[in-house]
Amino acid sequence: MENSSRRKFLGLCLGGVAAAATGAVIYPVYQYLAPQAGSSSEKKVVIPEKDVPEGEAKFFEFAGASAVLIRTRQGGLIALSAVCTHLGCIVQWEKNKQEFLCPCHGGLYTAEGTVISGPPPKPLAKLPFTVENGNITIG
Amino acid sequence: MTLLKRMYDWIDVRLGARELVDKELFGYLLPRNINVWYSMGSILLFIFAFQVVTGILLLIFYVPDSEKAFGSVTHIMNNVPFGWLIRMCHVVGSNMMVLVLLFHMISVLFMGSYKRPRELNWLTGFIIFNLVMGISLTGYLLPWSQLSFWATTVATNSVGTIPVIGQYLVEFLRGGKLVGPATLGRFYALHVAVIPLTIAALVGLHLFLLERIGVSTPPFGLKDTKNNWQSDKFRYEGHPDGIPFFPNYALQDMTSIAVYLAFFLAIVFFDPYLFFPKDAFIAANPYQTPAHIKPEWYFLANYQTLKIFPSEFLGLAVQGVAMTFLALLPFIDRGNERHPLKRPLFMACSVGGILLWIGLMIWGHYS
Repeated sequence: MENSSRRKFLGLCLGGVAAAATGAVIYPVYQYLAPQAGSSSEKKVVIPEKDVPEGEAKFFEFAGASAVLIRTRQGGLIALSAVCTHLGCIVQWEKNKQEFLCPCHGGLYTAEGTVISGPPPKPLAKLPFTVENGNITIG
Repeated sequence: MTLLKRMYDWIDVRLGARELVDKELFGYLLPRNINVWYSMGSILLFIFAFQVVTGILLLIFYVPDSEKAFGSVTHIMNNVPFGWLIRMCHVVGSNMMVLVLLFHMISVLFMGSYKRPRELNWLTGFIIFNLVMGISLTGYLLPWSQLSFWATTVATNSVGTIPVIGQYLVEFLRGGKLVGPATLGRFYALHVAVIPLTIAALVGLHLFLLERIGVSTPPFGLKDTKNNWQSDKFRYEGHPDGIPFFPNYALQDMTSIAVYLAFFLAIVFFDPYLFFPKDAFIAANPYQTPAHIKPEWYFLANYQTLKIFPSEFLGLAVQGVAMTFLALLPFIDRGNERHPLKRPLFMACSVGGILLWIGLMIWGHYS
């Protein structure tokens, strides 16, 4: 009886040490592999107004992902995520039709990001922006 | 437990797992007088696996481009979380692998385990030793520091003393007249793919030979220390009255690995720059040779030998002869006696050889 409880105690100690050692290996390896803070920057993006003429789109990186700024033919500005809501491809601006086309599976969006046709389940996400002194600040 | 047992049963009826475990673990019997030196191979297997894992982790951030290599290593050391730990483990591990490999070879020498029928075990082990030196040399260049650059310049240059083809060989090794981006490319390919895969294949062959021929009996604590091998036909050297590999010797292997880890981690945490002279922290500059550039400790004896002979070719030839002698030792030393104290000539030569090697290393360090 005494032997079996001693064996159990030693087994538990050994298991504890093994678990601690495993943790000591996994933690630094996980930290090493985890995306680093700051790599997908949340910084605001400033684009001069003159860079986005009427009917044109400007693609840029925002918060680690692709985004797009459009000035419609009516002069309105729209900032959207350029990531298709279907499977994450980057949408393309069809200047003639003033629509977004996702070339992967044919998803079609309006300039405001609303789904016209195709498989996307949701509209393109809208991004907040302000216009001041000829600069457009996104974020 | 029931689930685990059912899973084991599932595998057992398909693969005969129980029979395999009974035969290879509980039924794999080792000599009763086996000692701690027989666990060096297990430590080396552990180190090799550890080097592969830390090496793969380093590949994630390392950039094999002469313009970016030093910067990427600095980034790993300073910015990537625990990058310093991964790199230090890889650097210290490479040095420890050479050290433990030397202990393994010395123990095999002193216990006469290289003698027939184990000539091929020795030969494969000797090739692995050379490949480990090669993987260390090629890895040394990758950080693209002053130390990397100039140590590689000196090391590759020594090949140039070979008559007729020497100069061409130097250029072939470097991929050009001087060490440069082309050298980094080929050393990188050798270091991360060609040499590790060859080492893994040879380790497999080494273990196959060990398993096929059987573990040698240590010559200590026995009356008859002669090698009784007969050359008429193949015989497996079994140890019917021996101790099982599992759990008995597996526990010794685990203990040895734990002791190794204690030394290894002591260096990693308390003296991480033990193997780093200051030139290792300066980016490579092909126009500025640092003073007193020295190779790693395990190449110091070779470096000093090249210096003490009047011609470099002679220095290289002497090393070539010594290495060939060592590689062919089982075919040269054909005596039956295995106990080191009953082999005075062997003892004098081997102890003298080891002292000479250490002496040349110290001389090389301080010269």
